[in-house]
Amino acid sequence: MTRRFLIALVLASNLATGGLAAERPLLPPATSREIDFVRDIQPIFRARCLSCHDGAKQRGGLRLDLKSAAFKGGETFAPAIIPGKSADSPLVRLVAGLEEGLQMPPEGERLSSEQVGLLRAWIDQGAKWPDEVAGKEDAELHWSFRPVKRPALPSVSRETAAGLRNPVDAFVALRLEEPLALALSPQSRGEGTEGRIVPSAEADRMTLLRRLSFDLVGLPPTPDEVAEFVADARPDAYERLVDRLLASPHFGERWARHWLDVVRFAESDGFETNQPRPNAWPYRDYVIRTFNDDKPFMQFVTEQLAGDMIGVDEATGFIVGGTYDRVKSPDPGLTAQQRADELHDMVSTTGSAFLGLTVGCARCHNHKFDPISQVDYYAMKAVFAGVQHGERPLTQIKPDQHREQLTRVKAELDEIERALWTFEPLARLQPGDSMRPAVQRRTNIDRFAPTRAKFVRFTIDETNGGSQPCLDEVEFFTTEAQPRNVALATHGTKVTSSSDLPGHEIHQLKHVNDGRYGNSASWISNEPGRGWVLFELPEAVEIDRVLWSRDRPADGKFGDRVATKYRLEMGMTAESLHVVATADDRQTFGSAVAPQSARATSNEQDQAEANRLLARQVSLNETLRQLTTLPQVYAGRFVAPEPTHRFHRGDPLQPKEPVAPASLASFGPAWQMPLDAPDASRRQQLAQWITDPQHPLTARVLVNRFWHSHFGQGLVTTPSDFGRNGAMPSHPELLDWLAMELASPKSLHRLIVTSATYRQNSAARADAMQADAGTRLLWRYPPRRLEAEPLRDAILSVCGNLDDRMGGPGFDLFEPNTNYVKVYNSKREFGPADWRRMVYQAKPRMQLDDVFGQFDCPDAGQITPKRTSSITALQALNLLNSRFIVQQSSLFASRLEREAGPDVIAQVRRAYSLAFLRLPTDDEQIAATQFVNDHGLTALCRALLNANEFLFVF
Amino acid sequence: MSPLSITGQSLLARRDFMFDASRGLSGLALASLLAGDGQLRASDDAKRPIRPSVRPDAPLAARESHFTPKASRVVMIFCTGACSQLETWDYKPELVKRSGQPLPGNEKLVTFQGENGNLVAPQWEFKPRGESGKMISELVPNLAALADEMCFIHSMTAKSNTHGPAENQMSTGFTLDGFPSIGAWVSYALGSDASDLPSFVAIPDPRGVPQAASNNWNSAFLPAVFQGTPFNADKPIANLTRPPEISAPTEAATRDFLKRLNARHLELHPGDTDLAARIASYELAAKLQLRAAEVSDLSGESLETQTLYGLHDANKTKAGFGRNCLLARRLLERGVRFVQLFNGAYAMGEGVGNWDGHKTLKAQYEVHGPILDQPAAALLRDLKRTGLLEDTLVVWVTEFGRMPTFQKGASGRDHNPKGFTAWLAGAGVKRAFSYGATDDFGHQAVDKVSSIYDLHATILHLLGLDHERLSVYHNGIERRLTDVHGHVLHDVLS
Repeated sequence: MTRRFLIALVLASNLATGGLAAERPLLPPATSREIDFVRDIQPIFRARCLSCHDGAKQRGGLRLDLKSAAFKGGETFAPAIIPGKSADSPLVRLVAGLEEGLQMPPEGERLSSEQVGLLRAWIDQGAKWPDEVAGKEDAELHWSFRPVKRPALPSVSRETAAGLRNPVDAFVALRLEEPLALALSPQSRGEGTEGRIVPSAEADRMTLLRRLSFDLVGLPPTPDEVAEFVADARPDAYERLVDRLLASPHFGERWARHWLDVVRFAESDGFETNQPRPNAWPYRDYVIRTFNDDKPFMQFVTEQLAGDMIGVDEATGFIVGGTYDRVKSPDPGLTAQQRADELHDMVSTTGSAFLGLTVGCARCHNHKFDPISQVDYYAMKAVFAGVQHGERPLTQIKPDQHREQLTRVKAELDEIERALWTFEPLARLQPGDSMRPAVQRRTNIDRFAPTRAKFVRFTIDETNGGSQPCLDEVEFFTTEAQPRNVALATHGTKVTSSSDLPGHEIHQLKHVNDGRYGNSASWISNEPGRGWVLFELPEAVEIDRVLWSRDRPADGKFGDRVATKYRLEMGMTAESLHVVATADDRQTFGSAVAPQSARATSNEQDQAEANRLLARQVSLNETLRQLTTLPQVYAGRFVAPEPTHRFHRGDPLQPKEPVAPASLASFGPAWQMPLDAPDASRRQQLAQWITDPQHPLTARVLVNRFWHSHFGQGLVTTPSDFGRNGAMPSHPELLDWLAMELASPKSLHRLIVTSATYRQNSAARADAMQADAGTRLLWRYPPRRLEAEPLRDAILSVCGNLDDRMGGPGFDLFEPNTNYVKVYNSKREFGPADWRRMVYQAKPRMQLDDVFGQFDCPDAGQITPKRTSSITALQALNLLNSRFIVQQSSLFASRLEREAGPDVIAQVRRAYSLAFLRLPTDDEQIAATQFVNDHGLTALCRALLNANEFLFVF
Repeated sequence: MSPLSITGQSLLARRDFMFDASRGLSGLALASLLAGDGQLRASDDAKRPIRPSVRPDAPLAARESHFTPKASRVVMIFCTGACSQLETWDYKPELVKRSGQPLPGNEKLVTFQGENGNLVAPQWEFKPRGESGKMISELVPNLAALADEMCFIHSMTAKSNTHGPAENQMSTGFTLDGFPSIGAWVSYALGSDASDLPSFVAIPDPRGVPQAASNNWNSAFLPAVFQGTPFNADKPIANLTRPPEISAPTEAATRDFLKRLNARHLELHPGDTDLAARIASYELAAKLQLRAAEVSDLSGESLETQTLYGLHDANKTKAGFGRNCLLARRLLERGVRFVQLFNGAYAMGEGVGNWDGHKTLKAQYEVHGPILDQPAAALLRDLKRTGLLEDTLVVWVTEFGRMPTFQKGASGRDHNPKGFTAWLAGAGVKRAFSYGATDDFGHQAVDKVSSIYDLHATILHLLGLDHERLSVYHNGIERRLTDVHGHVLHDVLS
């Protein structure tokens, strides 16, 4: 008989025999003062009752953390509190010890007479429980909303203890030791099976190796690895294996995929156009790196929300990982709706991924189940009000190597430019057969015989259009081996002019030799069509060329005010100048300017050299462009936040009061920012709040995700909903204990997979299946069908074709298409470029590929905290008939021939070793050899790749 | 009918399926997904969510409806791109009269593409049809001739005025990506009588997939087995046929060899139902190969039938759509539960591949009208004469309507989600009936304003399903096709 039934019986018989009256005097008297629930009663409940009677435990079905539940009472007697009648209220009778053997609390000190008196007075005065506290308490005390506390390690029987490997097992054993019905459904009345399920024995080594490999790195082990592990007699062979796999770079690839499901990552926009996001992949690489580097989880959270502030730009790909409607319209209603949907996606994904809260449910009204108000929703929305979908340049500081390369490239470009000048024809002062190139907006070069000068004058006699001439820069170079521009004011050269256009900061005389190019740093005279500038050098030097321009930059826009007729004069004094170049031997303004190589007509050698230099210049300019253009990443653009308003019923056309960025009011340490807080600080503040050690949800949600991926089912089976509509934890103490172990994610993985619980075999024992077919109590390791990614990877690996290069842009399983509404047609032919791990597939949203999509690949339209697992006829057809499988089968056969030679028996042995990690039995060997002889080795390969033994992990 | 062979059955008979699916089956996420999660909070038993109990070995086996259904199956003809109600079903004499005048009260109205010009009369003449005298345009004369079979809902409204989200809403109830298609919901609820065909088939237009592409038939967070299988008369199911380099004897021997591999493996792992389910899936696949080839072979249809559907029409697109319509009938008569039949493809130039007539509506609809009209009418006619219409529901939809004005400076109509038409025909709905109305110009629904939720609720109702109870738990929410909305349009029920 269970304890509960006993309580009921004893209590019922006492009540029936009228022993009650006689016992009344034993009850401590009710306190005579007026009772305040919050001041007087709640502390008693908290201190002495709630450890067994709250949302998490509810022993006897009684909860004292919730007003409504408390008044309802427990399972065997209800109500427990009868307002006005304290002596009849079971709550009082049990705590007062009036029922023999039923003292509450069952352990520890009894309640003092004073405490019982307070309870009595409270009940006698009407058991007033203010609604405000009922609501708030309710919010705090749902099991997952309570602070995480490290639970004490449970004590288990000696015989059980022998089978334990680490604390995980103790918590699991505790549940298995409980009466079955209670263990299976702690919140429900214990009906049905009594008795217990015993844990399963450890699985054999091959099974463990295969399980661990798929679980930790998503790939099958090789036959050599099997042989090695099976033969490893060291006592810590298993732990060594775990450490090796956790250290593998493939670990990050496997576990990143789990996270990418949770955050609805895809590399296209979704909706009608569904255009690719070619620069979304850095986020995937970031997640892979994060798991491989064993980054603390709280840092991972922070980076995804505010990585731009701490040098991890691509991490914010998280925020904009969802859908984006590219179809834009002048209709303000549609525009507002689209923006509201974008932000909704950011809010709901953030809430569910990190907090396990369905914050998105409060978009139109207060959350139906959880303490999340509509204002809370808009407060979190305000956090993202400055985030726009789109790409932004990676702003990380470039490594030194990069800077050095940049300097080198620039220096070589300067050198080439100077070298190219030598191919410019000399000025001749009068027209001739071959004219020099026409004057341009950009750089014009006048070369002449070396001339010693202290004064240089540039005189304009005519401009195109007749307005005042403009020069953005005039430079003259010495004849030295390393020519210097001695026109610069910084060289000491002084400049005067005929006149200056007044009133413009950007047009001043000083700009003509300030080393800056472009219209916005130029000189303009104050005389229509004419003017001059005169340079006086600090000392006479030998000069052989002058460079000048109107608006030099390649992207300059100003082609007016160009000096179409000019004179360049030099001399030792301002009075003794002589002309060295004019426009007279230039082609008419506006004529096409031939490329420099064509101008170097003097001889073939020159021309070849000019061509070489020009080609080098083109290539260096491209290098320069790449070095100076920062790579773009689809990680969101951050702008000044738009105002956030609460939308009546979620309708963006019905904005109500403004809402400032703030925490969800009922969770963690509260904060609020001003309405005009800048974008980045909002996101940083949110990250800080989510990662606050006091936050009850974050760590629990994450460790449960780990557990979910290791066992196929979380301790909480609704991994992104820890709210009241989510599932209760099967092992609440274990969950909390793990949550405290989160500092190093890899240590946590190690803890889980080295437990005896994880190492159990998978046999579906009849007794246990009968009681707990869902394996909630973890009496075995639950077997699973491989998901799409490890399945494809395993096929490639076993067939000998897996390209395990990491990182970078993904491969495409769809044919190229450039329609503005992207059309996705699955590829029919595959080559080595497609044989990377599937995590690197450039994953379009909504569109699943023809072969593996059927294996429950998420479409990334919404988040996928938990994949479905179907078994369908179309999966069978895809694995039998797709070009991918036919091709891999044939390559598998080639591998076998290569590795096992021409002997069919050896080929069959090798095939079984690779695909099933074991040798064929004698019967299998005979049957398979016969099959290969009749139908070929490829046929055998195709069959093995379709076998349950290949697709299931035990 | 069990999809299992004798071997499979004997292996399975051991005990493995003795467990109530609601308690979860060994290792099978499907079962626990469908049954276990979430703490159901609905206190009122009559409104408690109903999650169908799905057998893992035969997830598509027929299941009981919630109450006696009027319709056993559905074909949804989806004209994508937004087919103008004003050029088809919604007769507005006032629009003819006031053509060339501004739309009263909306002179400055900005719609999807911008400003609008004046009211413009329908580009086709309307005539009275059938005994009921329902006014329908000359754009669709063959469909119009069947007016007495149809039950019009003239007061439809949509939530979005852009194609992607609006198509999403029509097919999944939600404007966002990533929610299960109505066909997936029905498949999940009812399975199918077609044991060797998919229970939900999506038939894309010969010109290409619709604008929201596979989101129209995805299963989203329902298991993949309920996803619509996309194929049409010209493009078979992907990976359906035996690869050419594998001979028939090798194929048979391979299947046999695989069966033995799996049987041995199952013996070593008794009690895990997924293994048996996967063995069963290969047997089902083999049947599907035969049946899908058979259903797609239209050559056995009489010349009269082929001609009825326009299969020999010189217009290749029309003939292609005709083949798709005929394929739809063949699928329905073999028990396929839900057929989505698309007329119109993705945007390949505005209004080129579908009904999106922004700028040159007349010229474009002259192309699209004939492609739709005869084949779709043939389908309805054929369903009627074969008796299938008795328990088949035909639904004609488009994602939203079009404006009664022409766009400023153009000869076409902009998007209009405020009023458009859908029609039903067949099982359980009134014949020659019109429900609801738009205003005098066909602009906004004003009488018995109806939503896509209402339409979906009504379709589910006709299938014997309570749209407020059919649900699946996904991330904290008992998800429904109709979200938290929708009312069955009882007036349209016969």
